[in-house]
Amino acid sequence: MSVHALANHVVNRFSGRLGFLGLTLIYVLLVAACLGTLAREDELSLGRNPLANLVKTVGEFAHPSFLDVWFGNPQLEYKSDDGTVLRVENRQEVEADYLAGLGRATWTTIRIATLGSLLGALLALPLAVLTARNLAAPKPLAWLAKGVLDIARSIHTLVFGLVLVGIVGLGPTAGILAIGLHSMGTYGKLFAEAIESLDMAAIDAVRSVGATPDQVFFNAVWPAVLPQFVSSHLYVWEFNIRDSTILGLIGAGGLGLLITEATSLFQWGRLSTVLIVIVLMVSAFDAMSRRIRQALS
Amino acid sequence: MSEIAIHLQQVCCIAEGRALLDVGDLSIGHGERIAIVGHNGAGKSTLLRLLTGFMPAAHGRVDVLGRDLNGSPAPRELRALRREVGQIHQGLHLVGRLSALENVLIGSLGRVTGWRSWVRHFPVDEVVGAEAALHAVGLLARATTRADKLSGGERQKVAIARLLVQRPKLILADEPTAALDPAAAGEVCHLLAQAARNATLISVVHNPSLLPLLADRVIGLKNGRIAFDLPIATVDDQKLTNLYRPDEAAPAAPWPMTASNPSKLGRRQIFSNQV
Repeated sequence: MSVHALANHVVNRFSGRLGFLGLTLIYVLLVAACLGTLAREDELSLGRNPLANLVKTVGEFAHPSFLDVWFGNPQLEYKSDDGTVLRVENRQEVEADYLAGLGRATWTTIRIATLGSLLGALLALPLAVLTARNLAAPKPLAWLAKGVLDIARSIHTLVFGLVLVGIVGLGPTAGILAIGLHSMGTYGKLFAEAIESLDMAAIDAVRSVGATPDQVFFNAVWPAVLPQFVSSHLYVWEFNIRDSTILGLIGAGGLGLLITEATSLFQWGRLSTVLIVIVLMVSAFDAMSRRIRQALS
Repeated sequence: MSEIAIHLQQVCCIAEGRALLDVGDLSIGHGERIAIVGHNGAGKSTLLRLLTGFMPAAHGRVDVLGRDLNGSPAPRELRALRREVGQIHQGLHLVGRLSALENVLIGSLGRVTGWRSWVRHFPVDEVVGAEAALHAVGLLARATTRADKLSGGERQKVAIARLLVQRPKLILADEPTAALDPAAAGEVCHLLAQAARNATLISVVHNPSLLPLLADRVIGLKNGRIAFDLPIATVDDQKLTNLYRPDEAAPAAPWPMTASNPSKLGRRQIFSNQV
């Protein structure tokens, strides 16, 4: 038993743990470096009086604007400094109008998410067929498809949106295309995995009775793949409903536009209303899609 | 019975530089009931795959049901052959997401073509036939149950019902009772033997007690070659033990099933020819 053998033994015994220890150390160093440099640049401050600001913002958030539809002042008078009445505003009417606009914006957001998801799924389908390893598409085509999917997945929807607003102009079209292009990457990966996890026994079973390729596809491949496709479609769709609320920030229409408006005018009450609508819409869609996906499995 | 269903001459199957199967001369007549026995890797499944064109022969002559399987037969030719050959495999050989009835109807795909077979809108007489087949194996009550919700024995019965609908001339059963308890194994074998009344039946069997149910003639394979080819009456425990014994092993390794599961199945039971 030489020293060499002993060293080998020690390495084999502990290399796994040493490796993990090393990685942990690197991680701790990285976190320390981030904190240290930010502190040195004096960028870790919370502003001049964070507490007062917090209380003020929370107070305004706690009074969502939609309450004014019922409880607002029907004759709010705007006066100049000398007391002359400039304008009388019916707060109830104004907020009811805002709520109607919010409804239209929500509908726009849902339309962007729905059409964008469908576009992404349709674009991804042929690419997924090319990338699925068990279907053995020609190598160059498979690499090309995988490259396209990887690029689509790594570019954020907002970036696609910014570029597309420049090309097709402001409005929902840019949002639909942005959602479609980004989620194409996600769909491609999920679809390819569904195809790769195909039940080969089922395919053999149908092939062994002398079925033609089209019969094999419709009787073995399709029933196995369809529920997974529908399930991933619902999942990405659900994700896009959340994602598209932000797209208005860059002028693609929908709820995001109202968020930008409310924040730039410091109307926290209205922002609160918008956020409540978003939370309701997203959780309703989540619950629905979860139900359907469970039923499909 | 004299007509030839299968004829192999100097057939050799090679995969990854290894000869999986090397058969000098083998002919099987119409209506014969054959059991193939042998250790794991002896070439039993290879032989069955050869007969349906899923495994090509490197050289030699392969004739199945009057069809010449030499060279690379056209897909159309292979499909025509597979329509006449019913297969039952170990484990799940069904479409898991389709119902038992739909799986049975898969057997009629050779006759039902075009859009009807795509949307599984089968003609009424085929559906009636499939229901009758399910009734014959005692599973009509489970007709709408999805195949992946059925038990192992029920799955094999559905596969047998599929055979009844397919009406093949040749039936290949690859360890049809592998995952079943003894009672279910016996039942499945009885049903299989009934389904094969008007056909040639070739089954791969490990359990000697099931041999008499399924075969009149036993072919023993060892390392890809035919070790013996005898009527069932002359096959005894000694011949089987020798067949499963590794070549160079001095102490006779007991039969695989007794070694792996001695408490559940006694040695007597395994080696008994009684049903």
